[in-house]
Amino acid sequence: MDWSALHVSLTLAALTTLALLPVGLALARWLAVTAWAGRPMVEALLLLPLLLPPTVIGFYFLVAFGQGSALGAWLAASGIRLVFTLEGLLLVSVLVNLPFMVQPIQRAFAAVPHSLREAAWVSGLSTWQTFWRIELPLAWPGLLAGMALTVAHTLGEFGVVLMVGGNIEGETRTLSVSLYDKVQGMDLQSAHVMALALVGVSLLALTLVLAFDRVGPLGRALQER
Amino acid sequence: MQGLQVQLRSASPIRLEAEFDCGAGELVALVGPSGSGKTSMLRAIAGLWTPADVQGHIRVAGQAWLDTAAGVQLSPQQRRAGLVFQHYALFPHMTAQANVALAAGPGWSSADVQTLLARLGLATLSQRRPSQLSGGQQQRVALARALVRVMLRPTADPTPTPQALPGVLLLDEPFSAVDAPTRQTLYRELAALRQKVSVPMLLVTHDLAEARRLADRVVIVDAGQTLQTGEPARVFASPRNARVAELVGIQNHFEGRFFKDHAGWGRLRWTDAAASGTGLDLAVFDKNKIDDGTPVTWVLNGEQVDVMADDELPGVASLGYTRLRCRLLEVLSLGEISLCTLRPETLPSQTITLNLTSRLLQRLQVASGGWVQLQIAPEALHIMPVRTK
Repeated sequence: MDWSALHVSLTLAALTTLALLPVGLALARWLAVTAWAGRPMVEALLLLPLLLPPTVIGFYFLVAFGQGSALGAWLAASGIRLVFTLEGLLLVSVLVNLPFMVQPIQRAFAAVPHSLREAAWVSGLSTWQTFWRIELPLAWPGLLAGMALTVAHTLGEFGVVLMVGGNIEGETRTLSVSLYDKVQGMDLQSAHVMALALVGVSLLALTLVLAFDRVGPLGRALQER
Repeated sequence: MQGLQVQLRSASPIRLEAEFDCGAGELVALVGPSGSGKTSMLRAIAGLWTPADVQGHIRVAGQAWLDTAAGVQLSPQQRRAGLVFQHYALFPHMTAQANVALAAGPGWSSADVQTLLARLGLATLSQRRPSQLSGGQQQRVALARALVRVMLRPTADPTPTPQALPGVLLLDEPFSAVDAPTRQTLYRELAALRQKVSVPMLLVTHDLAEARRLADRVVIVDAGQTLQTGEPARVFASPRNARVAELVGIQNHFEGRFFKDHAGWGRLRWTDAAASGTGLDLAVFDKNKIDDGTPVTWVLNGEQVDVMADDELPGVASLGYTRLRCRLLEVLSLGEISLCTLRPETLPSQTITLNLTSRLLQRLQVASGGWVQLQIAPEALHIMPVRTK
């Protein structure tokens, strides 16, 4: 078992989830209620990472932040290096995980009947109070599902990590990249352990997601109807 | 100025021409078919729906909630509207108590909320969530949640003096989702509630019988327009125009033409559009409101029609009454009352529907296929000009 790789993977998963949660929450809530005509366009953009090969995303990342670009040069002058660092990996990880975080949360907010918001307003609650006291408590299973999916997907990410992060031990070598190394080096024993660990985590996350789909106050209320 | 005054006009997204008021402690029913805009009017009062081009005002106890001339538009939070949603819209993750406490003002303690719930028969259910309550119980929780917006906090002293904040109680088809026995109970509770809370109460319903039973006044709504306002009995007896008559489900609604006769009297020519040339005349009062020869629609109020045996001679007091020989086409017995369909001898293409007591039919010794005479008082005929677009 490559403990350093496990540590990198878990760190990346935790940071990605934490960074993505507020962004995803705001985007999902907005998408769930907006009547703006451009909404499908935004939704398509958010879903794009699901369809694009990771190499495309990695390539554009290198183009945007590499030494050759103006942005990359400016960042480098400021002492910030994003290519082949954990920070850069975190940034790209947030981008590719957007659909995994936003989708379940958006569905959860969209499932809150609009009449409940209206009932809260006529009861005297501000839109902000309505969000905290009515919408969020009803949508929390969606939040948990989004977080679980993000963690699982980050642990399993391979192509983008290799292109953006390289393969630097203790910095950007994640479990999935390490597994690739072990197979290349014919260390099947270690490969088995790591593969099994990834299967276990992903299965656990998916099980949680499906379970959250049916629990929660709204899910229960809808089922009892 | 007490009570609620509404005057709204808009052209899009739906046409709206609403004008009505509701006194403090009064219950006014907005009645109309689905899609007529009655719920939109309720939502406009609550502040949940405001068309961009709206003109007019909504005033409650002298305070402007909306006044387009003065540029006033309060948010739903600033208005004191206790709204009972059609499907209650209770917060599913909260107990009944929490649902009500959420809407209660700062003067309310949780004991006060509990007292109110107890008054509505929910004392032992206050810690349950909506999904654990029956439809009728949920309706009462929704009513309690609406009430706390317009009620002062209940005092230990059960004085019958109505105490209320300057607000309105809005009920959007509140009885449509409960079964019939529960509905009867809720009707009684609403009647009892009116003794205690003296705020304007607006009830939206498509059920005429419900409006008639509960409301002090009804407002007939169609295609975004308030067509007629008045006491239920009055609106039902004298609809302002043909559309109102149709909406309130009046039977015996016909077409014809009005002619002036000798002073104070007119002639209503009952015609059949399909068969020109046929027709019969009915004696009516001339109130100088309708010009000679005007096409009209008219309603026959069955309660002011006497039914007599075919061979009975006219009495002395029947001056000005029209006698009409009719064949009894069909008798549907509904217990004490029989629904009878009659066909005038001289205008066989038309039918009159009357609710007659089964006792009367026995006394007249007549069954379907037989003949009777109708004696129609001039008061029984309500004439309206044909509505022109």
